[in-house]
Amino acid sequence: MTADQFVQYLVSGVTNGSIYALVGLGFTIIYAVTSIINFAQGEFVMLGGMISFVIFDSLGFPLAASCILAILIGTAVGAALYLLAVRPARKASVVSLIIITIGASIFLRGIAGELWGVDAVRPPFFTGDKSLHFLGAYIHPQAIWIMGVTIVTTLILHLFLTQTMMGKALRAAAINRTAAGLVGIDTRMMALISFILAAALGAIGGVVMAPLTLTSYNIGAMLGLKGFVAASIGGFRSPIAAVIGGFILGIVESLAVGIDWGPFTSAYKDVIALIVLLAVLLIRSGRLAAEERLG
Amino acid sequence: MNQAILTTHSLSKAFGGLVALNGVDLSVESRRITAVIGPNGAGKTTLFNLIAGAYWPSDGEIRFKGQVLGKTPPHKRAAMGIARTFQNVLLFGNMTALENVMAGQHPRSQYGLFEAALRLPQAHRQEETITLNAMKYLNLVGLGMHAHQNALSLPLGQQKLLAIARALATQPELLLMDEPGAGLNTLEKRELSDLIRRIAEMDITLVLVEHDMDLVMGLADRVVVLDSGQKIAEGTASEVQRDPKVISAYLGEDLD
Amino acid sequence: MMLARVRDRWPYLIAVVLLLLLVLVPFKWFLGQYTGLMVFIGINTMVTVGLCLLLGYTGQVSLGQAAFYGLGAYFSAVLSKTHGINPWLAMLTGAVATGAFAYIIGYLIFRLKGNYLAMATLGLGIIMYILFRELSQFTGGPDGMAGIPPLSIAGFTFNTNFKRYFLVWFFCLAILLLSQNIVRSRTGRALRAIHGSEAAAESLGINVDQFKVKVFVMSAVYASLAGSLFAHHVGHVSPSSFTFLASVEVVVMAVVGGLASIWGAIFGTATVRILSDELLLQFGEWDIIIFGLLLMLVMIFTPQGLFVWLRERWERWRLRLAQGGTGT
Repeated sequence: MTADQFVQYLVSGVTNGSIYALVGLGFTIIYAVTSIINFAQGEFVMLGGMISFVIFDSLGFPLAASCILAILIGTAVGAALYLLAVRPARKASVVSLIIITIGASIFLRGIAGELWGVDAVRPPFFTGDKSLHFLGAYIHPQAIWIMGVTIVTTLILHLFLTQTMMGKALRAAAINRTAAGLVGIDTRMMALISFILAAALGAIGGVVMAPLTLTSYNIGAMLGLKGFVAASIGGFRSPIAAVIGGFILGIVESLAVGIDWGPFTSAYKDVIALIVLLAVLLIRSGRLAAEERLG
Repeated sequence: MNQAILTTHSLSKAFGGLVALNGVDLSVESRRITAVIGPNGAGKTTLFNLIAGAYWPSDGEIRFKGQVLGKTPPHKRAAMGIARTFQNVLLFGNMTALENVMAGQHPRSQYGLFEAALRLPQAHRQEETITLNAMKYLNLVGLGMHAHQNALSLPLGQQKLLAIARALATQPELLLMDEPGAGLNTLEKRELSDLIRRIAEMDITLVLVEHDMDLVMGLADRVVVLDSGQKIAEGTASEVQRDPKVISAYLGEDLD
Repeated sequence: MMLARVRDRWPYLIAVVLLLLLVLVPFKWFLGQYTGLMVFIGINTMVTVGLCLLLGYTGQVSLGQAAFYGLGAYFSAVLSKTHGINPWLAMLTGAVATGAFAYIIGYLIFRLKGNYLAMATLGLGIIMYILFRELSQFTGGPDGMAGIPPLSIAGFTFNTNFKRYFLVWFFCLAILLLSQNIVRSRTGRALRAIHGSEAAAESLGINVDQFKVKVFVMSAVYASLAGSLFAHHVGHVSPSSFTFLASVEVVVMAVVGGLASIWGAIFGTATVRILSDELLLQFGEWDIIIFGLLLMLVMIFTPQGLFVWLRERWERWRLRLAQGGTGT
């Protein structure tokens, strides 16, 4: 691999990694506040992209409006998911909630497939098609949008979590739900907000990535999985680590394909993420199982 | 002179920055009733959990019948002869009273998946033994007539007795009881007292964590007092009650 | 008097009647046209019951049962077609290999925090699918392998739906009976204890992690056997039968059948299979929408599984009837 190629793969890795980071952030927020692993996380990304295309293409709205509407609708779906599927299952076991969110994810995927067909679609690029030349690699303007939006969104999220009352309440609920409840924080509202935030993050990622990578009804599964890997690198507790995890995953994945080593063709690209996942799961043993049972 | 069936040496446990137990030396005489008392947060349950194997010490060691327990997992300790009851009972709500006690016979029976799947005769024979033994322990605590009732349908007092029967079914040499008297009325506490004495007569060594001083006074051969993770006094119940360190540790706390 | 005795023995009566019906199904004059469907229901039930036990006794879900199913199918296919090995031996080898693989995975996973089995098996399932698809020199690639020989015993070949129906249901019922024996034994008690309270179970000498691994391995072996039967029934295998959606289908079947429910597994499998076949006929791609809805609704309203919930309602209704009858 030449230096130019290396940079190219790096760029593509960071681009993909941005989306994984956003999805990973969503996973982390929901898990930290509610202890739920939201299997439908990837579907928010799918919805963001698909809806932005549908509104632009079928309803003829301008691109900016389509994108914003798509994000709003995606966020609403997130709220609906919590209110209609998660909250009613009061006192459900961890496994029940996992299965519920799996049900939600395939439900959303099915609806998307029914409503909008199975073909991949692509909304137009935000600022055109001319790639920029940078350090020996070509960077597509949309890729810059993706990276930029991710960074800005992460910063805004950080500000929200640290500077606003609601953000601090959210963090309190994440650290210790019981204590938060005792000081008057409405933990169910916090749970709802965590879902709304996660959905918004996913939808934003979907909207900004769709022009570059295409979108279709079934991209949610793989993206969700990769976002989960990103979150698990961060231990599900730290948003920053999830973001870094996302970028790491994107870069590792991209370079692994680039190195083109041995019998592994690019068909195995997805396997990289899975191997990283399994490695992370095994390395992070967390508390002793027996301690766990008492606490 | 009785052997010490359980000893701890400089036993310490810290959870992150919180030190729950700090250099506790303990020597439990075999076939006696030892009570561990102390104000809330003294580290009593931590001590139990360490002995039972729920987690491992940060420092120091525990010896059972001379053997260092180290990192032996809880299920192996049960097979070695250490049984325990829990502060919050933890009965199996998906089983009857009898089945709960039968579950206690697990370390004293052997047949496995293969014999079970094929319903081999040794499985059947062992099931018979298990059932008979379980009924024996159930009758010992006076719950024989409730054998086929769901465990959680019993009132709290009887649930605690059931938990004791279940622990006894493991045929232990050492039984750790975590606040057996909590939540019981006077009559139930008297029955509990009698039961504990009967268990002691079965040559089982008992260690109790208990807040009710009357219960402790009436039962314990020896009392150990913990405060803030350290042992501050040790002796007979009356010795310990008069110890000024113990009195000041409980200052502000109600002595039942 | 006799009526009372009959009423007490009703579970056995029901069992005998159902068994009779089961035996009669493949005959043309009865329900012969559904033989093929029933063979698939039998095969899938073997996979479902494994997951029911896993869900019910370890409180964990595997999203990768299709991987074990596929391993069984491919082991049988490759060993019996490519290498001409006796199909029964191939099936046994597949089961042992899959079991060993599941043991390693289970041992590694169950030492970790609970919820991760779902994700780990999800990942594993997808990896296996990709391997099935890409290792074409062994597996025949995306198009799979055809020409798998049928099973036979002493010259009697299982080469028709009719014959395979009995073979498959023999295996299926054997597995269900073995599972029931296990659940009613010391092992089953240990499993129920784990389900009730892991901490208490451990204090009684039950090695919780080891039992969880055992159940996981059992579920994998069941799935592998089912996969082998599948391969010999259909005569060809391809990766498209072993996707993530196939694993999800197993979860739907288990959830409808009831966690920790053995005979409910038949109910769950049959319901989902018939539903999805009918739906595909009428509405095209609606099956995954219905699956998603089913998963959500069942888990929200009947978290122990649909069949178990129905059975409890039935019990309560019967009790009320009995009390009404004696004027209590």
